[in-house]
Amino acid sequence: MMSTGTLKKLLVHTYMTLFTLPIIAMIIWYFLAATMNFTTGQFSMENFSFFGKPVEYAGVKLPLIWPIVLNTIVYSFLIVAIEVCISVPTAYAFARLDFRGKRATMKFLFLMRSFPGITLIIATFFILVQMNLVNTYLGVLLVAITGSLPGRVYIMKGFFDEVPWDIEWAAMVDGCTRFSAFKKVLVPYVLPGIGAIAVFSFLGAYGEWFLFKLLIFNDDMLTLAGYLSKLVTKENNIINYGLITAIGLFYTLPIVVFYIFTQKIFMKVNLGGAKQV
Amino acid sequence: MENATTRQTYKKPFTKKIYPYLFIMPFAVLVFIFFILPAIATIAMSFTDLNASMKPNFVGFTNFKRIFMDYNLPQILWNTAIFAVLSLAISMLFALIISIATQYFLKGKVTAVIYRVLWLIPSIIPAVVYVTFWKYVFDPTEVGLLNSIMHQFGVESDPVSWFTKAAMAIVIVATIISTISGGMILLSAAINSIPEDLYQAARVDGASEKSVITKIILPTLKWPLMYITISELIGFVSSYFFIMLLTNGGPMRDTTTLSLYAYQQAFNLKYYGYGSAVSLIVVLISFILTLFFLRLFDFDQMIKPSRIED
Repeated sequence: MMSTGTLKKLLVHTYMTLFTLPIIAMIIWYFLAATMNFTTGQFSMENFSFFGKPVEYAGVKLPLIWPIVLNTIVYSFLIVAIEVCISVPTAYAFARLDFRGKRATMKFLFLMRSFPGITLIIATFFILVQMNLVNTYLGVLLVAITGSLPGRVYIMKGFFDEVPWDIEWAAMVDGCTRFSAFKKVLVPYVLPGIGAIAVFSFLGAYGEWFLFKLLIFNDDMLTLAGYLSKLVTKENNIINYGLITAIGLFYTLPIVVFYIFTQKIFMKVNLGGAKQV
Repeated sequence: MENATTRQTYKKPFTKKIYPYLFIMPFAVLVFIFFILPAIATIAMSFTDLNASMKPNFVGFTNFKRIFMDYNLPQILWNTAIFAVLSLAISMLFALIISIATQYFLKGKVTAVIYRVLWLIPSIIPAVVYVTFWKYVFDPTEVGLLNSIMHQFGVESDPVSWFTKAAMAIVIVATIISTISGGMILLSAAINSIPEDLYQAARVDGASEKSVITKIILPTLKWPLMYITISELIGFVSSYFFIMLLTNGGPMRDTTTLSLYAYQQAFNLKYYGYGSAVSLIVVLISFILTLFFLRLFDFDQMIKPSRIED
């Protein structure tokens, strides 16, 4: 006779497995579709031939993938570096310094976080046209960074708020200036937070396809997301899932691995962002 | 504000005064050029007939009049509402179920972690990769997962063209599965912060699971639920990435939401002025919704108790 406790657990597991089924199916499908020849039913790596030659698919001609990979890496790391370099000092100023207009700016920051930023894209496009930044990486970078900065600053501010003031006072007593206390004492103290926003920035940059679709017209300037979106958005029924899943796997596996290692940080970031609502 | 008197006697040197501004300078510049300026420009553009010729003329409220005369409007508003409300309700419900299951019923179990990690995957993998799966599931040819399953079980021999029959349902399913994780993380953390003693006390008193959930767990979730409602609803109303990748608003206008319509008017048809006016409507709707939910959840009431506990 089963106890009610085990029965309950069993019930919970049954429901959870059912709910999670689409995701499990998705993961299995990506691997199968990329590595199996469905007509012969055998394992094959022919879908991965995009490593060696440019992709040509349903009338879409795309450049060789390696320069695109390089673009993706450079773009993602630039985004991480710039977002960290801007949001850390800004968050420090909001958390630790007094200046005129601080309250108003903070309120504005809150507004920005809940503002549907995507609705500004038409006007942003025009400003980029005026600045001659359309079809340049700089344009994409600036728009992408501005869009995600408010969130990063908010998270970072939460981390700065938790640093005890004593630490900073002690550093100042020992002869540090405000800036050297920031650099030598505070920044090391909030390193976990910096790691967190870096992970967030990286994942965001790595998946960015929309701005590349809108602002970049040269196929060889794309990143992997934009590259893949050219294949995916062609029609509703994709003719060659093998090729797309193969590229998709090549593109996604590194970040899934990266994510598994940084998972704890990722959870914390989300929490930090919400706690200070 | 108390030390305002002491501040008067000590006059800060100029270098110290500009010091904080140096820290926020890059942020302020970027926000000005790529947030405040576009916001102003959107308003300005919505009163012009700016189009492919790139010569704007002031046209007053013509664009706004045109929106309300637009024969597509009823359907687009309906699509937006259906998409936002259903996506929000379903993803919230599932986020709630999953977080209660993993943080209460399976608390501390390895399986709980596995479920949560699996649920996070759709939000981790890039959108372009994620939508491929849904295109495959609902592929209108016999290659598609649903069609081949139905074929195998002999339910229907001819492949069903899912995207023409149930485009909105497909878009919603794909959207919710990738947004559940966001809510799940917040709700899980909130449930996790409930002290174990509370459950034990409830158990001693002979409380049922149902009353534990409704009397202990749900009340602690009020704050995160408000946050999720507002942020996800604004997200659903304003962003169109998944819709663009999955159906691009089609078939016909079946999955075109208001914000996707603004995008299409501006970038496909080059009616930049009209597109801006439609965007402004989206912003207006988002703000009304935010205010409404803040009122509904009694924002001020919720802030007070947390301050006393500190």
